[in-house]
Amino acid sequence: MLSRAKEGARPARLDRDRGLVEAARRDPACFDALYRKYLAQVYSYAYYELRDHHAAEDATERVFMQALAGLPRFEERVDDFIASRSVTTESGSDSADISTFRVWLFRIAHNVVANERRRDRRRPVTPLEEAAELSAPDDVAESVAAREAFSAAWHAVARLPEDRRRAVILRFVDEMSTAEIAAILGRSEGAVRVLLHRALRSVADDLRGHLS
Amino acid sequence: MLTGGTRDARRTERYLDELMAADQRRVSEFPVDVDMDPAVRLAARELRADLVRVHPSFRFEEALAARLAAGAMRLRAGLHVEIDEEAAPATPGTMSAFRSHSPAAQGSAVTAMPPASGPTEPQTAVSASAFRRLPEMAARQSRPLIVGGVGVASAAISIGAVYVAWRHSHPASGRMGRAARTAHGRATGSSRRRTGVLNGILGVVS
Repeated sequence: MLSRAKEGARPARLDRDRGLVEAARRDPACFDALYRKYLAQVYSYAYYELRDHHAAEDATERVFMQALAGLPRFEERVDDFIASRSVTTESGSDSADISTFRVWLFRIAHNVVANERRRDRRRPVTPLEEAAELSAPDDVAESVAAREAFSAAWHAVARLPEDRRRAVILRFVDEMSTAEIAAILGRSEGAVRVLLHRALRSVADDLRGHLS
Repeated sequence: MLTGGTRDARRTERYLDELMAADQRRVSEFPVDVDMDPAVRLAARELRADLVRVHPSFRFEEALAARLAAGAMRLRAGLHVEIDEEAAPATPGTMSAFRSHSPAAQGSAVTAMPPASGPTEPQTAVSASAFRRLPEMAARQSRPLIVGGVGVASAAISIGAVYVAWRHSHPASGRMGRAARTAHGRATGSSRRRTGVLNGILGVVS
């Protein structure tokens, strides 16, 4: 695997979850540790994409059940990922400390959420921005302003094209690197960089319009 | 040779890396590339502040953990894990109106107050399949059998009680019956009252 690395490149850690994954492969009961570690991330991704926490719960459940069932097949996917991404980098800043398990898990999440969104077109949901605007009994100016700010930011993100929005959520909510996002979305790292940059320009324009 | 767009994209990426790293170090200020578009920088900061990670309810977390543990036991036993590939039906049943839709409540989703939008609106619908999948609900599969067994037992007891009451009110008229009554004496007043009460309860007409 490392022979694929570019000359002079610094080998990165292959997978920060390797210990947990190997334990779960030996004893499936140990999958619980991976579940607890990534529950909030997977749920958040589903929540921001589906904009309804019931639907997000359904999707989250499906993701982890599929991950548990598919864990024996995970190893070969690691090889695929390493081959496609060549997990070494000249700068050492991009692909280092990557979790191939997380990438694999989010690929599952990506597919589950995409299926869920297709079904969502046939049933109405509460948009996240409306949920943010629900009035609280102890409403104060500060909380109104906070909700407005949230709403403005989310409106801007929600208006983005699908691929840019997903890149933004993975980057900001799940704090993923460009390489990880590229692996999940099946795009090149360069394409993801451009996606994110253009997404931020769009959000900036929207926020500027909102402020004016 | 990098184009202008690619260069800007790399600049933005470096800024985002710095922004995330600064958050982890709990530092608010860090050196920035002066050539970077300030509007993009502001947008990045806004999104960093607003797009927070949310956590599902504790109840959901534990219910799913239990399901995963059950799945793990099946895997250990060499069985397949049952995955509900089918999503919620397009028109799910409305089963719960007791969850807040307020983002503030997302961390602890189960609340005592119903949502402001009312219990029967489509957006409050919980998919029936999701409810069915909860582990505590799975145990209900045997419930009809238990109910059926109780029903059979209850019917048998009722029939037995009717028979006993009828026998009390219709003493045997044969020679053996008369001999038995003579040996044990006639029914006392209290036993007649018991019979009457029993007949009254069961509606037995002699």
